[in-house]
Amino acid sequence: MKNLMMSASVLAAMTTGAFAADDVTLQLKWVTQAQFAGYYVALEKGLYEEADLNVTIKPGGPDVAPVQVLLGGGADVMVDWMPSALAARENGAPVVNIAQPFKSSGMMLTCLKESGVTSPEDFAGSTLGVWFYGNEYPFLSWMGKLGIATDGSEGGVNVLKQGFNVDPLLQKQAACISTMTYNEYWQVIDAGISEDELVTFKYEDQGVATLEDGLYVLEDSLEDAEFKDKMARFVKASMDGWTWAAENPEEAAEIVLEYDETGAQTEKHQIRMMGEVAKLIEGSTGALEMADYDRTVESLLSGGSDPVITKTPEGAYTMEITDMAFN
Amino acid sequence: MTFRRSILPILTVVVALVVIWYGAAIKMNSTWTFDQAARAGTSPSLSEVIGDTMQQSRPLLPVPHQVVSELWKTTVEKKITSKRSLVYQGFITLKTTLWGFALGIVIGVGLAAIIVLSRIGRLSLMPWAIISQTIPIVALAPIIVILSNAAGAGTLLVPKAIIAAYLSFFPVMVSMVKGLSSPDHMQLDLLRTYGAGPRAVFWKLRVPASMPYFFASLKVSVAAAFVGAVVGELSTSAIAGLGARMLIGSQFGEPMIMWAALFAAAILAGLLIVTIGGLEQILRRAMGGRPV
Amino acid sequence: MRQKDTQFERIAYPVGFGLLVLVLWEIGVHLFNVSPALLPAPSAIGAAIASSAAILWGDWVQTVLKGALNGIWMGSLAGIALALVVDRFVFLKRGLMPVANFFAALPIVGLAPIMVMWFGFDWHSKAAVVAIMVFFPMLVNTLAGLSAADTMQRDLMRTYAAGHVATLMKLRIPAALPFVFTGLKISTTLALIGAIVAEYFGSPIRGMGFRITTEMGRLATDMVWAEIFISALTGTALYGLVALIEKRVTFWHPSHRG
Repeated sequence: MKNLMMSASVLAAMTTGAFAADDVTLQLKWVTQAQFAGYYVALEKGLYEEADLNVTIKPGGPDVAPVQVLLGGGADVMVDWMPSALAARENGAPVVNIAQPFKSSGMMLTCLKESGVTSPEDFAGSTLGVWFYGNEYPFLSWMGKLGIATDGSEGGVNVLKQGFNVDPLLQKQAACISTMTYNEYWQVIDAGISEDELVTFKYEDQGVATLEDGLYVLEDSLEDAEFKDKMARFVKASMDGWTWAAENPEEAAEIVLEYDETGAQTEKHQIRMMGEVAKLIEGSTGALEMADYDRTVESLLSGGSDPVITKTPEGAYTMEITDMAFN
Repeated sequence: MTFRRSILPILTVVVALVVIWYGAAIKMNSTWTFDQAARAGTSPSLSEVIGDTMQQSRPLLPVPHQVVSELWKTTVEKKITSKRSLVYQGFITLKTTLWGFALGIVIGVGLAAIIVLSRIGRLSLMPWAIISQTIPIVALAPIIVILSNAAGAGTLLVPKAIIAAYLSFFPVMVSMVKGLSSPDHMQLDLLRTYGAGPRAVFWKLRVPASMPYFFASLKVSVAAAFVGAVVGELSTSAIAGLGARMLIGSQFGEPMIMWAALFAAAILAGLLIVTIGGLEQILRRAMGGRPV
Repeated sequence: MRQKDTQFERIAYPVGFGLLVLVLWEIGVHLFNVSPALLPAPSAIGAAIASSAAILWGDWVQTVLKGALNGIWMGSLAGIALALVVDRFVFLKRGLMPVANFFAALPIVGLAPIMVMWFGFDWHSKAAVVAIMVFFPMLVNTLAGLSAADTMQRDLMRTYAAGHVATLMKLRIPAALPFVFTGLKISTTLALIGAIVAEYFGSPIRGMGFRITTEMGRLATDMVWAEIFISALTGTALYGLVALIEKRVTFWHPSHRG
């Protein structure tokens, strides 16, 4: 593996001249949408260029695990959620958090009122839709905290691996489904179900919020001073992009739409998403806050009989990059 | 005469299918209509229900004219450079298919040559070639993506083409093994009396004799490559191509995108098979072969 | 000229080749220090299979027994039944043959997300995808098989004063069997692909497709490969089973002589 990565970096050094901007490839966690507006804004508005960076943004999708792209040398830095990053770390993928643009969690469980679920006590016995592929951890640790079994045993919840859309709720195949405040929730609304027919449980309100979109790199790469300098410039420019995006949600959404290669995103949805995402980055300086980190780790460790991570992670974050970026 | 013998029966079947489709769509989509009416506290009349089932934005089963109009909108009315144009998306799938098809032919012919020429090759490769086709390729898709990424392939074209080739090499290989071993003892003996070495036997007898078999395998192989390309796009998080459109339609809760992509895929598959079939005829005639 | 292959050689060579690949794989992984998150060593995959046998069994039951096999028998029976009906009406046959041939060449697996929407998350939607994928090859092959008996043979039956049913049972169905088995062989392979892909679009929390995507997200590639191994084994076993039954049932066919 090291050999592979070494030859890749040698190649990169050969192709980029000594005076050219530094190449950075960013792997997103999901498809191009306003959830990642800050990076697209920084790219479009030339903020990366000003920081002497040549940034490539790779969108993700349902079958892309950003960690694997990072490990495979397909990207230098990735956007991932902390639960899956920490779980990957425990599974032998040494990823390190270098910045945390998202302060709050946008995850929630959205239920149809007619299903009879009104509080977490009603979950037992009902069918809940959950995302997998590394996104199941917040749910599992919440259920662990509530003491509700998720393995299909008596008195537990019946867990469905929901696809990528909100159909299970619309078709009444599940009482509740996972949604993000900035995305799927509005798909339910757009499908013609009004807000007062829905009951929502925000992970933030339930006290089980875990950190979402953060920036992660491989531990090895941090030994290189040049890489650290590159990342500091990248984080700084990205955060400037986020600030701009939060202030100009409509233009930011437009920029995202221009980069959307699927052509399936709509303006209405992206502007709304940008508004919701702005709420999540509010109060973030870009640096990881210890209180949030500790809460996330504690929540992941306390998953009942089957915790997401089994021991307190060490070296899973560094303040060095953000210190360099902002001081 | 051909009209009554072939076109009329086909038309009848197609019309019957469309009628069944309309009936099914009305029945399936009415659940949502009634649910919405109940939420609004109204009770719609039968004609209102039927009308509504034909114009929902996320129907369980869109009616045929919805699909046709979506196809029209995304092919004829869109610039072909637009990301929303199915012509553009179809072109990407076509590219994957042809790369996979080409790769499949090379692998298939290569393996067949090894199998026919070498006894050890035949004994050790043949069973694995058969086993390879019983492995559900989609299970391997994520692994193929990761490994080709790690090996330095920048785009998704490589893993997608590998998946397409994985399905398309087999028909070529099987036909070529048959074709290359089709010369009988008499013909082989005749060449030996000419003092021809193994190389001459291979190029002057076996290869020409295998050509009809080769052409006959192409139609099956290209259809397999196309299925492989779509499966590849479905299972590698591709963002472009008809398979990706199906995924995106599902992901964003826009069934019309999904259905239009499905029908575009059907049309493209048809065109591909007809084209390769035509090519096969022309080549075979040009080579003076008899139909097999 | 050509040596005859002994039974020993027919088994030893493929097994030896397979072992060689495994050994090279194992050595390669250790030699180049490949991260297990990218490619696990065969030994690690073996360990995963041994330690997670219960999980793998549960997935197998969900995907193969419930999803794929139910789909295979539903699709096959429907295909064969329709072929028998259509065969009686020349007009229908002429109309349906090209249409069915066309459908058989389509990437039907693209229907997977739609079937999940229609039939829910459990095995029913998977069986539905499989049934449709299996239906067309079975229909086409059975129809082709029913025309396999030539005019001479049919005339012979007529001289015996055999009616439609007797001709069907005694001549045309037996003559069609090799074609039906070809259809079945195609179908078993398709069935596993269909059942696994459909799980990508929503499933309960068991099943081979579910496990593959979930464990991939957790970087537990040893489990992913364990599932791949099981699916390969299943595919091969199903194919072998069909081939075995075919040999027993169509022992008279020229391709089994010698």
